[in-house]
Amino acid sequence: MRCPRRLGALVAALACALAPAAGAADPAGAKAAVEARLRAQLPGLARSDYVLGAAAFDPEIRAREDANADAAREVVERGAALWKRRFKDGRSLAACFPNGGRRVAAAYPQYHTGSRRVFTLEMAINQCLKTHHEPLLDYDDPRTMGAVTAYVRSLAAGQAIGVRVPKAAEALFDQGQRLYFTRMGQRNFACASCHVQGAGKRYADVPLSPAIGQAARWPFIRDGDALTLQAQVRACLERMGAAPFPAGSEELNDLEYFLTYLSNGLPVKANAWRPK
Amino acid sequence: MRGAALAALACALSLPAAAAPPAAVDLFTRADKGHCIACHQVPAGAGPATRSDLGPRLEGARMRELGRARLRELIVDPTRLNPDTVMPPYGRHHILDAGEIDRLVEYLNALP
Repeated sequence: MRCPRRLGALVAALACALAPAAGAADPAGAKAAVEARLRAQLPGLARSDYVLGAAAFDPEIRAREDANADAAREVVERGAALWKRRFKDGRSLAACFPNGGRRVAAAYPQYHTGSRRVFTLEMAINQCLKTHHEPLLDYDDPRTMGAVTAYVRSLAAGQAIGVRVPKAAEALFDQGQRLYFTRMGQRNFACASCHVQGAGKRYADVPLSPAIGQAARWPFIRDGDALTLQAQVRACLERMGAAPFPAGSEELNDLEYFLTYLSNGLPVKANAWRPK
Repeated sequence: MRGAALAALACALSLPAAAAPPAAVDLFTRADKGHCIACHQVPAGAGPATRSDLGPRLEGARMRELGRARLRELIVDPTRLNPDTVMPPYGRHHILDAGEIDRLVEYLNALP
């Protein structure tokens, strides 16, 4: 990124400050820089409203979400059934997680020291299935994996997101941050073009959610299905004219790690309704 | 002579008509073309009403002040003029071809 020489070029300077420098991962600093930028851009937005996403800028969207609050019920029930289903060995997904999965979702993604990779909630679910010799769920299937995450995240509703980035995981965090700020695809957008630079403005008539808060709200319920955070990122990449990284890929896992860390301290508020 | 003319006419009639190029306003609105409407508002009557504001509102007077050459340059690759812009490089990334960019320039130049 080209940085401005003139002090007056405030916006460009902020963009430069937000762009990650190679080998200089600083999770707390990165979060503080994005927070400062969004606070300056959106002075009227209370910190607690960041979890509302686009609805924070549009009372009509907020009213429609409230009116469709029940849309998640059937999806969450389907997820609960999959979560409690007995495996052939008598165990279940619920038995793989502490407290049957209550209040665990707010701590994902996590750094897995054994594999030196980022472990998402979906990966932890599939790890449990693999351990018990059960068929794995498709990361991108809203009917199964989406529904399970809808249920598990409903068990963490209101819990403060608390993603940790140990020293050994900083390079992965850095990779996620770099991807978030990298322009991609035919349209030459970065995730940050819309959700940092353009946060609160409207694209295709819909307000753009700020980067902070995005990871607190997933999955979304659209047309009876649960869309995970990675499914939403993949849809965005398609709109950008980029070939989406596969769901569960290291690229999307690192991106989710960075994005979720930005929402640390905000409450999980999963399963909001979205129009078709 | 007359026979040849009739044959040519018959031939022309039997050929499928070449697809008409998208109208300028379609280049402005279609998601698979410019999709400028996703970010920009235009004066009433010049295109669909929207509240989109990721990019500035486009007014005819400002477009004509910029002039066709600069408008064209902006559409082909806006990052040459402003590296931080979020506007796509329509020419550089082959989103629109040269003829489409020319029609879009005329559309913008003619805005009220």
